[in-house]
Amino acid sequence: MKVPVSWLSEYVDLTGLTVKDLSDKLTFSGVEVEGIEQVGFDRAEKYVVAEVRSCAPHPNADRLRLCQVFDGTTELQIVCGAPNVAAGQKVCLAQLGATMPDGSKLKKAKIRGVESFGMLCAADELGLSDSHEGLLLLDPTLPAGRPLTDVLPRPDTVFDLEITWNRSDCLSMIGIAREFAALLERPVKLPDVAFPENGAPVAQLATVRVEDPALCPRYTARVLTGVQDGPAPAWMQRRLEQCGVRPISLIVDVTNYVMLECGQPLHAFDYHRVTDHTIVVRRARAGERLATLDNVARVLDDQMLVIADPQAAVAVAGVMGGAGSEIAPGSTDAVLLESATFTAPSVKRTATLLNLKTESARRFERSVDPGLAEWASRRATALLVQLGGATVAQGVIDVDHRHAAPRQVALRFRRGREVIGVPLDDARMIQILTSLGLQLAEQHAEQALFTIPSWRVDLEIEADLIEEIARMHGLAAIPDQAPQSVAVAGADDAGVRAVALCRHTLLSLGFTEAMNYSFLSATELDTFDPRPTSRRLTLPNPVSADYAILRDSLLSQLSGALGRNAARQVEMVTLFEIGRVFWRNETDTPCEEERVAIGLCGPVGRTPLDRRRAVTNEEAALWLKGAVEALATRLRAGAITLRPVDHPAMEPGWATEILLQDEPIGLLGLLRSSWRHQYRINAPVAVAELKLLPLLANVGRVTPAQNVPPFPAVRRDLALVAPRTLPHGEIVATIKKSGVSDLTNVSLFDNFETKGLVQGTRNLGFTLEFRSPSRTLTDDEVNLSLQKILQTLKQTLPVEIREG
Amino acid sequence: MTLAELDAHQQQSLAELQAAIEATAIEQVRVRYLGRNGLLPALMKQLKDVPVADRPEFGRRANAWRAALEAALTERQAAAAPRETVAPFDATLPGRWPTLGAMHPVSRIIEDVCRVFARLGFTVADGPDIETRFNNFTALNTPAHHPSLDATDTFWLGDDQLLRTQTSPVQIRVMTSRPPPVRIVTPGRCYRRDTTDATHSANFHQIEGLYVDTKPVSLADLKATLACFARETMGPSVGVRFRPHFFPFTEPSVEVDFSCHVCNGSGCRVCKQSGWIEIAGAGMVDPRVYRLVGYDADSVYGYAFGMGVERIAMIKYGITDIRLLYENDVRFLGQFA
Ligand SMILES: [Zn+2]
Repeated sequence: MKVPVSWLSEYVDLTGLTVKDLSDKLTFSGVEVEGIEQVGFDRAEKYVVAEVRSCAPHPNADRLRLCQVFDGTTELQIVCGAPNVAAGQKVCLAQLGATMPDGSKLKKAKIRGVESFGMLCAADELGLSDSHEGLLLLDPTLPAGRPLTDVLPRPDTVFDLEITWNRSDCLSMIGIAREFAALLERPVKLPDVAFPENGAPVAQLATVRVEDPALCPRYTARVLTGVQDGPAPAWMQRRLEQCGVRPISLIVDVTNYVMLECGQPLHAFDYHRVTDHTIVVRRARAGERLATLDNVARVLDDQMLVIADPQAAVAVAGVMGGAGSEIAPGSTDAVLLESATFTAPSVKRTATLLNLKTESARRFERSVDPGLAEWASRRATALLVQLGGATVAQGVIDVDHRHAAPRQVALRFRRGREVIGVPLDDARMIQILTSLGLQLAEQHAEQALFTIPSWRVDLEIEADLIEEIARMHGLAAIPDQAPQSVAVAGADDAGVRAVALCRHTLLSLGFTEAMNYSFLSATELDTFDPRPTSRRLTLPNPVSADYAILRDSLLSQLSGALGRNAARQVEMVTLFEIGRVFWRNETDTPCEEERVAIGLCGPVGRTPLDRRRAVTNEEAALWLKGAVEALATRLRAGAITLRPVDHPAMEPGWATEILLQDEPIGLLGLLRSSWRHQYRINAPVAVAELKLLPLLANVGRVTPAQNVPPFPAVRRDLALVAPRTLPHGEIVATIKKSGVSDLTNVSLFDNFETKGLVQGTRNLGFTLEFRSPSRTLTDDEVNLSLQKILQTLKQTLPVEIREG
Repeated sequence: MTLAELDAHQQQSLAELQAAIEATAIEQVRVRYLGRNGLLPALMKQLKDVPVADRPEFGRRANAWRAALEAALTERQAAAAPRETVAPFDATLPGRWPTLGAMHPVSRIIEDVCRVFARLGFTVADGPDIETRFNNFTALNTPAHHPSLDATDTFWLGDDQLLRTQTSPVQIRVMTSRPPPVRIVTPGRCYRRDTTDATHSANFHQIEGLYVDTKPVSLADLKATLACFARETMGPSVGVRFRPHFFPFTEPSVEVDFSCHVCNGSGCRVCKQSGWIEIAGAGMVDPRVYRLVGYDADSVYGYAFGMGVERIAMIKYGITDIRLLYENDVRFLGQFA
C-alpha cells in the first residue's frame, strides 16, 4: 500500500522525524517497508514558467524545433526536440545554470549549429514521473517567470508498505496514523465530517432490504442530489495518483479517496438508475449474469452476494460495481452512496472465483470494521457537499445487524511478562494498550479487562494483546540470554537417523546425492516407462505441464541426471536420491512412499590407470549390485537376491527384481540402449530403486557378537568349466549342499572366457574354505571333503572339473 | 675375562667397523665378532668362567654390545651397498582410492541444523508430504479464507488432501499424539504453487522447530535458541534480531534476521546494504493452536520457528540460483564432497 507522508501527516503530527525514523518505526512495529519513493519537484533555482512565443523548424534537423521563449524578463532562443511544442504554450524552462537530474549545471549549447540558451522540460526531466512523452504543459494562465516550485507538486515521500494479513485497519492512512500516534504518543486528528442535511427524508427517497445479514452485517445508504460531478480538485487527484489510483471524476474519486483514507470501501450508485430506488442485498441466483465495471459478463453462483435492485443485480457486493449503474464522469447529479460491511470469507470466495482483485475486495477479504461504515459515509458525503455542492437527504439508512456489545479481552499481567520475557510493569502494559485505542474497562491486581476499539478486528484473545505490548514496547528490549537445553523423555528420532545412515552409507560408497523435483511431465514419465498410467497422481492445478504429475518412481529423473552428466563428458557418474514417490491406490486415495534410487555410469571402481577400457554390461550391473549389497549389510537389512524380470525401461535380459528375504523391494538393471542413445551414451547405465521402509526395518537390531574361530582354516581351490547359462549361484548352492560339514565359505576368485574353451562356456575358479570349530583339520580330512564336493558337482551339474 | 676387557673389545669392534669402508671389509668385521667362530659367541661360552657375582652384569653388557654392533653393521652395510638403479617412489602419482560421494547441500544444511538443535534437546520429527486440510491449515489457526489456501497457492489433491505447504503439520501430528513437553525440529519437503525462478521453486525444504512446555517459555528463550543456532551455522559473530510480523499460528509473531555473515553487519551486496539477512519466521505458539490440538491453552507455553533450507544453503554457500540445487550437475554437487 502506498502512503504519501504529506497525506499521512494530516492525521498525526510527524514533525521532527526523518524519513529513516519513520521507516524504522514502521519496520520495528510490524509494517514492512517495501519501498521509499521521493516524488514532487524539489529544484528551487533556475526553473521557471516560460511562454513559447514562436516555434520554427530547425535549419539543420528535421526533428528539432527552434523556439523563442520568454522567461518573464528576456526572450531566449532554445532548441527543442519535443514533438508537442507549439507557440502560445506555457512550459517548464530550465535556465542556464540550472541543476540537471545528474547533478550537472545546464550550459549554453550549440545543437546542430544553432545556439540554445536553456532547456524546455518533460515530466521525467523534472523528476515528476517516468514520462518522456513530450513537454509538460502548464496552465496557460500562469505568468511567465514564476518559479516552478510554486506551480509543480511539492516534494513528498511515498512509502510502499506491506500490510500483514491480520491488519486490514492498516490498509488506510488513518490506520497507519494510529500506529504512529501510539508509537509517538501523539494524538490522532480525524477530519470533520459534519454537513447540512437539506434534502427530503432519506426514507422517502430510497429503500434498503438486506436479505442475507450473515454476509452483510451492516449496510448504510445516503442519498445526495444536485452533485456537480466534474474533475476532482488537483490535491485530491494528486493523492489518488500517488497511491496508484487513477482519478476519474469527483464522485468516484471521493469514494476512492475515503477508502484510502479510512479503509472503508464505498460505492456510489447512479440514483436514477436504481429501479424503484430500492437496494436489495441478496445472494445471486445460480447462473445469474452481471456485466461488471470492467465490461466483463460475469456468471455468478448462489453463494455470491450481490447488490440488486428489484429487477437485477447491480453490483457484486464488496468486489465490483456493475456496468449498468456505473457513474461515468458528469453522467448524473444524484447518488445513492453505499457504505457497507461484507464478511471476509464471502468476499474472498467471490473475488477468487471471479478472479477480481479489486482494492475493495482486498480490504473486505481481510475484514473491515463494521463500525466504520457510518463514519466513512459521512466523510464522503461531507466531501461531496464541500467539493460538489451536493444536497444531502435527511438521515441515513442504516441496516445494522452487528452484535451490539464491543469485544472485551482480559490480560493477565504475569502471563504478559512470561511470554515476552521482559520485566514490564503493569502500568506500562496498560499504557501501551490504551495508546492503541483500547479502553481499560476493569483493573485488578493480577489482570485487567480491555474494551477493544471496533477497528481492531484482529484483537480477539489475550495473546493478541501480548503481541501488541511486545511490538509497541519494541522487540529490541528482549534480553540476550544463554540457550537452555531441555531433554524430553520418550522422544525418539530413530527413523530419521536410519534414513541418515542410508545417506551416509551411499556417500561413503562414493555416490553423490542428487535431488529432483517431486513433479515431472507426463512425457518424461512415458518416455521412461510407457506402462499403464492410471494410478499416477496428477495435479489438478500444476504450475505447468512440465510439472503436472507427481513422480511414481525416482528412476526416470535419476536416469536423466546420469544421462545429462554423462553427456557433459563427466567420465564417471555415481548418483543416488532419497525421496518420496506418489500414486493413487485402488480406492483412488493418494499414497506416498519413501525410496532410494542409485545409479552409475562409467568405469566405476577402476583405478585411475584403468579407465579407458570399455565397461561391460556385467561389470556395470555387478558394481551396482555390490553397492546395494553393501547398503543392505550396513543397514542390517538381510540378504539381497536378484531375480530376472521384464521391465520396459531396461535392456532385455538385464532387468532384475530386488528381493529382501524373498520379498520384492525394488528393481535393478541396465537402462535400455534406446533410452541411452538420447544422451549419446554408449556405456551401460545401471540403476536401482528400493523401498526404504523394509530396507531400514532392522537398522537398530542388535545381534550378539561371536567369538573369532579358534582353529585355522584350510583352503582349496577348485576350477571348473561350466556352460555360460549355468548361474554361478546354482554352482555355489550345489557345492554347499554336498553334505560336507566343515565347509565354511565358497568364494569366486576367477571368472573368464578364453578362446581355448568350448563356445558358450566359462572358466570359474572357487576358493573353498574348510574349518572345524573343535579342532585343526588334517589334509586327509579336507581332501576327502573336496572329493565329495567334486563328486556331487559332476553328478548334478554339466560342469567339467579342471585338475590342478 | 673381566668387565673392563669386555668393554675394551666393544670399543675395538666399533672402531674397526667405523674404519671399514668396503662391503668386504665390513663383512670381515662381522665375521670376526659375530660369526659362528667370532669373538662374541666365544666370550659367551666363557661366561661360566666369570665370577658368579659378575655374571648378570657381564651378560647384560655382552647383549648391549651385540645390539650396538648389529645396529652399526646394518647402517654401514646400507651405506656401502651399491646404489640401486630402480627409480624411487614417485609420491606425486595419483593416489588410488574410490571417489567420494558428495552430500547434497540441502541435506547438508538439514543435517547441520538438526545437529545444532539436537544439542539443545530437540529431536527430529517427520511426517508425510500428503497432508490433510486440518493438519496443514485448520489446526494451525489459518482461516478458510486465508489466501494461502487458494488453489493459486496450494496444490490441492482433493477437498481435504493437499501437498503440505509447510512442515508445521508435523507439529500438529506430534502435539495431537503426545502431551507436553514437546521439543522437536521438523525438516522436510514442502510445496507451493510458485513459478520456478532464481529464488522460487514449487517444491522446497523447510525446517521448523517447536517447543511446548508446562513451565513459562518466552520470546527471550526463543531468541536465545535462535541466536545459538545463528552462531553455530553462520559463524560465531552472527547475531539475531526480531521484527514483528504476522503468522496465523503464532502470537506474537516475528521475523528473524541474522546479522550478515559476509560483512559482519556493515552492509554489502549479500545483505542488500542493510547488514541483516531475513532467515526465519517465528513466534510464540498461538493459544488457539493449543485448543485445536487438545492442550490446555492456559497452562502451556511455547514457541515455534521455521526457515527455508534452500534459502539458507544459498546464503551460506553463496548460491545465486535455486535451480542449481535441482540440476544434479555433479560438477556443482562435487563441491560439497
Ligand atoms: Zn552484508
